[in-house]
Amino acid sequence: MSLPPALRASVTPPELELIACQELVEIIPLIAMEKTAFISGAYGPLRPPHKARIPIWMAVNLKQKKKCHILAPEWLTVEYLQDKILQETTQDEFTKLPFRFAEISRVLLDAASDDLQNPDKLRSLLKDLREARQAKARAGLQSLEHSTLGLSNLSAMEINEIRPFFIEAMAVLGQLRP
Amino acid sequence: MNDDYFSIDAILAENQKVGCRFKIDIPDMGHLGGGGERDIAWSNTLQLPIWLVYTVVLSDWADMIMPPAFGNKVRNALKAEPCSVRLASLVGAGGLWYGFGKTIMELLVDKKEMSELLTNTFRKRLVEVIDQAQHFAALGPAGGTGGSGDSAQSFREGLDGTERELFALAQEGSKRMKRWYEEGEKARR
Repeated sequence: MSLPPALRASVTPPELELIACQELVEIIPLIAMEKTAFISGAYGPLRPPHKARIPIWMAVNLKQKKKCHILAPEWLTVEYLQDKILQETTQDEFTKLPFRFAEISRVLLDAASDDLQNPDKLRSLLKDLREARQAKARAGLQSLEHSTLGLSNLSAMEINEIRPFFIEAMAVLGQLRP
Repeated sequence: MNDDYFSIDAILAENQKVGCRFKIDIPDMGHLGGGGERDIAWSNTLQLPIWLVYTVVLSDWADMIMPPAFGNKVRNALKAEPCSVRLASLVGAGGLWYGFGKTIMELLVDKKEMSELLTNTFRKRLVEVIDQAQHFAALGPAGGTGGSGDSAQSFREGLDGTERELFALAQEGSKRMKRWYEEGEKARR
């Protein structure tokens, strides 16, 4: 293959971020706009002060021009995340979170931290959550089998992070079978 | 590590000699052992390259002697603490202990025990390999020395070639993640 080695094993985090930005988010527009057709679909019309659902990339763009407020998804709040961390540290399984929570939370925290309540607290909670989940993925390594691996509720970013060496390790285990 | 004909790793892993004790007399073949003897006599022990061992063992002309890299001493050490054994120094050049072990396994009648030895060792060491890889990725380019002590360094030096690859993969992945998270932090400042 002509791809550099770093890109062969899995997609890169910025690529995942790009994909995640296709998901919809609620905004309160500050400007009016007619219904507009994009390749991925038609969004709008924007009529302040009514809420609208548009893709994240568009919301971020409007936000940068100060033409909308982004409404945080219901899972991006201090209470919700604290609840999840509690579940995460008391249960053996991964807790259920939006598949692309890592990417979306980072994009929203970067672009619209003034629209979120207590962004610094959110950041530290997300970090705690990430570390708790990483510890679980690590524990999963010990029981690695050559054929199957069950880690349900893992998010896109986490799967992507462990994919290269989990695949390789499973291939080795397959080779070592009698 | 695989059976592919063109796999360089497989070729390197077979770059080993294995002791064989002959069960028959083979006249006029003494030069194979590199000695001055004219014949290979019964119960003579010779170090043979792997490609020749296959033929000799499968034709029942000789018994393979388990190489020291998988002998009782190593087995007991692995049973006690897999992470403290330096796999790379058990096998020469390249240090493909698992690859060599797989080759030996193919020659055995009872493959199960050998497979268990290799699999258990791999699985128990894997966690430490990944931990250290992530630790080093977190240090960044400046902190190359690592402060986790002698045992960690000794473990890293003793990594088998296959484990080295995994180490590099895990380190690269963690680095990318770290870079991505830090890009966000930079953008905020």
